[in-house]
Amino acid sequence: MILAVAGGKGGVGKTTVAYNLAAALDAVVIDADLGMADLPGGRGPDLHDVLAGRADPTETVRTGPVDVVPCGRTLAGARACDLSALTDAVAALEREHGIVVLDCPAGRRADAGVPLAVADACLLVVSPRAFALADAIRTRELARELDAGLVGCAVNRVAEEPPTDAVADALGAPAAVVPADPRVGRSVAAERPVVDAAPESDAASAMRELAGRVPR
Amino acid sequence: MRCRVSNDESVSRRVRVESRFDAPVLPPRRAGVPEAGWDATGVTLQIGPGERRGFGFAAPSSPVNPPVAITSVEAVNSDASPHEVPRCSDDDGTAGSAAAGALRDLDEFRPPRTAVDEGRDVTEAPVCDRDCEADDPRDERLAVDDSDDSTEGCRDARRDTDEPGRAGSDAVDGWLTAVEARVDRVERLTDADVETATTVVADAGGVDALATLDERVARDAERLQVLSERAASLAERAAASDVPVEALERLA
Repeated sequence: MILAVAGGKGGVGKTTVAYNLAAALDAVVIDADLGMADLPGGRGPDLHDVLAGRADPTETVRTGPVDVVPCGRTLAGARACDLSALTDAVAALEREHGIVVLDCPAGRRADAGVPLAVADACLLVVSPRAFALADAIRTRELARELDAGLVGCAVNRVAEEPPTDAVADALGAPAAVVPADPRVGRSVAAERPVVDAAPESDAASAMRELAGRVPR
Repeated sequence: MRCRVSNDESVSRRVRVESRFDAPVLPPRRAGVPEAGWDATGVTLQIGPGERRGFGFAAPSSPVNPPVAITSVEAVNSDASPHEVPRCSDDDGTAGSAAAGALRDLDEFRPPRTAVDEGRDVTEAPVCDRDCEADDPRDERLAVDDSDDSTEGCRDARRDTDEPGRAGSDAVDGWLTAVEARVDRVERLTDADVETATTVVADAGGVDALATLDERVARDAERLQVLSERAASLAERAAASDVPVEALERLA
């Protein structure tokens, strides 16, 4: 199962949702944002090396509370990437780990489209603000063109009562509310997914709810 | 090789055109992925009623006459979308071909320099304003014969502050000349034979001087891209604008 976590805009919390969802799914999460890596990096080969044909995908997995395939942070590395190599790389990781979560970049360029095309299904992260929804709808269209079925959407960082029904209607998929919780915000940098750090929290149960929607 | 097919019938028809060259077809590509409908021997196109379609390809071979042959023509079910082109033979519906389709159909991936490379600002105008593009002493040598002119232009640009328009365009010219010199050099090195390469390396004063050339030219390419977009939009605005002198005179 390859799940793409996408969203129209940058900064809506795709990486945070991808990381915490991977924890709930016991999956490996790949930082597929070639130009703006967000997941923890580290030494050793990364996705840039894999897409440049310099490393085997399985040797890039960094084990931790959530297994991560980090992405390089250099411009030269991003330029050297051959996106057409992503399919085989992700397939190799899927064989090894069962479930793969792809943290996708924003936008409608090839770097956002190829992970969606590679994925079996996708999950959209939406900010609870009205203007963010239009971008999410565009990304939903892109995912539809590329045959990545939408399993659900996460309305992220919700502080007040969110228009969940409106979002679910607009995107045509069930929406789960991820409340604004500082433990979620810290989870990626601290490498403490919220399902482990605060299993009783609303955010953790939102992640488990989203994970339950992912077909396996 | 350029071809044109036309459909004189009143129904959409699918045509298979195959190359007669004794060499593989090099189809049109986007982002390295062949356009839809192409494979190693030819192309399958769907042409609407009364429509004409031009296409082309390359083949590493000497010319033959006729260069292509139409191997099959069939009417297409009218409820199919007229623009739907049959998938090429390697397009078997797997994730791999979906990714190839995404690469072909979507805009090219261009990494945002400001995000990954926290160096120069991408919006900085590509004129030699601060560093004269000669921040790197090696570059003086790299920008072959014209390097003196280009840096001269920059110095003039700084002196002639009372003539900002002219000085600015001088600076732009200087920068472009320097870029041109770098690109010339890279072109001479691309697929060069040993003799040419040796000459170029000797001119540059050693391999070390060329080490950053590739990166530098890539950076130039990006700046030129930004510049061309900006220039095009400015030209468009300039052409569209119109000062109503007569009307102003009447008012005054």
